[in-house]
Amino acid sequence: MTAISPEMTLPRPRARHNPLAPLATLAARRFQLSVRTPRELVVPLLTPILFALVIAPALKQALHTSAAYEAFVATGTIGLLIPLNTMFAGLGVIVDRDGGAQRELLAAPIPRSLLVLGNLAVAFAITALQVAVLIAAAVARGIHFNATATGVVWFVAAAALFTVGMYGVGETLASRVPKAEEYIARLPAIAIVPWFLAGSLFPISALPGFLAWFAKFLPLTHGLALVRYGLLGDSSGLHNIWSMHSATTMATLSLAVVAFFAAALMVISIRAFNRAAVR
Amino acid sequence: MTPIHLNEEKPMQSRSESIPRVKQPAISVRQLRKTYPGGVDAVKSIDFEVAAGEVFGLLGPNGAGKSTTIGMLTTTIAPTSGSARVAGYDVASEPLAARSISSVVFQEPVVDRTLAGRRNLDIHARLWRTDPSVARSRVGELAETLGLAELLDRPVGSYSGGERRRLEIARALVSEPQVLFLDEPTVGLDPRIRHELLDVIGRLRDRSEITIMLTTHYLDEAERLCDRIAIIHAGKIVALDTPRALLAGLGHELVELRVNGDAATALSSLRTRGIAGDDAFTVGSTLTVPLHDRTAAHAISAIHDADLAASSISTRQPTLDDVYLQLTGARLADAA
Repeated sequence: MTAISPEMTLPRPRARHNPLAPLATLAARRFQLSVRTPRELVVPLLTPILFALVIAPALKQALHTSAAYEAFVATGTIGLLIPLNTMFAGLGVIVDRDGGAQRELLAAPIPRSLLVLGNLAVAFAITALQVAVLIAAAVARGIHFNATATGVVWFVAAAALFTVGMYGVGETLASRVPKAEEYIARLPAIAIVPWFLAGSLFPISALPGFLAWFAKFLPLTHGLALVRYGLLGDSSGLHNIWSMHSATTMATLSLAVVAFFAAALMVISIRAFNRAAVR
Repeated sequence: MTPIHLNEEKPMQSRSESIPRVKQPAISVRQLRKTYPGGVDAVKSIDFEVAAGEVFGLLGPNGAGKSTTIGMLTTTIAPTSGSARVAGYDVASEPLAARSISSVVFQEPVVDRTLAGRRNLDIHARLWRTDPSVARSRVGELAETLGLAELLDRPVGSYSGGERRRLEIARALVSEPQVLFLDEPTVGLDPRIRHELLDVIGRLRDRSEITIMLTTHYLDEAERLCDRIAIIHAGKIVALDTPRALLAGLGHELVELRVNGDAATALSSLRTRGIAGDDAFTVGSTLTVPLHDRTAAHAISAIHDADLAASSISTRQPTLDDVYLQLTGARLADAA
């Protein structure tokens, strides 16, 4: 028979270890789950690679543009790769929820924001790898980049912050839609439509007046302008947004826009996750 | 199928981090209420306490509020009002502390199917910040105890339902919880695996260092495993006592008769003649009369004298189903 005592001693809360240890555990779990579904790694890469290596050279030849256009489109495809990959990563949240694993994670003695950050860490790492593959493939195809050390810093900062923001979009959407089918149905509108308007294939100055004005509010427009400024030394995208003379000032302003986007979407996504996860 | 043997000669490592700060019940619930959006009152102001080392059962049909109660105690469902404490920690204001000393085996599978069983256990141990060397030895011990040793390095997707359930129990135990929540632990399992798991849980209750709260709609589970049972119906606790005391409320024996006419009229007639008390009840055409201090022969004779058109009369010992039926007017098996 069980020995029942009417009272129990309060346990000492477990010793605080490295606060990042649970984050590392969550990220390692997500990474292991991701690598077991290789299509999640490969599929987002296919379309940007196709644009960078096949469509851009074809457009250059058909439209008799200069070699710089290939580089313009190759960098533009980064603006497609990041949203596609981060949105695919958001599907993991729905899989966790539908498969039941999320309940176990919610019962763990860790701040629930870490569940979002753990997923973000893996989405970020996989996106970085895919961007590196895209650039390496473009270079191998003979596309020329003109990046300085400072330029690389602008590029990395812009790509990193935009990745964080887009993952926040994916996580928020995953928390709000009940089914994977609904999530996937909304993916093109979020990941692909803005790409056509954000100066990926042509400068936003070529858009009709209202759309050009609208494009200036898209974080992707700022992100792509920064990527081109960093990798190609081309500040025309920034000028189309800000109409200033100082490239550094314009880059700083655009980076601030992307940073605000990243911070806001992270906060929103964590709140959306908490609201959806705890009934 | 590997048989399950709990190694009682090798008790699980005792908790060493307890300090005599404040003494508390293992679980304390006060006027706890949950109303879901849309106005569904799933739990309606319930109160109970669970002593340390006790096995406490919430017995009721699907939709009675059992899982919602477990959800609030494990902080995965936010209470609408009232309070709940696990090992003294308020689930609303100290959720991390409450979660750190408890584990839960959910009704639905929650394991990562593409990962190996060992990795699932490892993730749980790390998230609950169990010392790695303790976790390693504990995984080995639990694997032996629960008959998982041969399975641990296989992906969970290849496990049978019973094996996966045992893995989930092992996972909940790997962090050495002081309070273990089992939400319908045997639901959906075939009878053989179910009985094996009941053996496992039954042996867990022999350890005084762990408090277990389980929900079930199986009467035999509740009667076999629980020190005390709260019968929950439509979000309210309608009875709370030991199984023996709950059964004693209906006496040592009861008469069950199937009447050809209106059972309510027959019951009224028996009450008028002093054969049936207030605790007699009807379900359809079946009338159940607790005997208390009357003998079966005397009661049956009196029923014959009442000239009721009964197609069958039998006597039997009361069960928890009778208790539930008498309290709620519905059979637990039907309601579940």
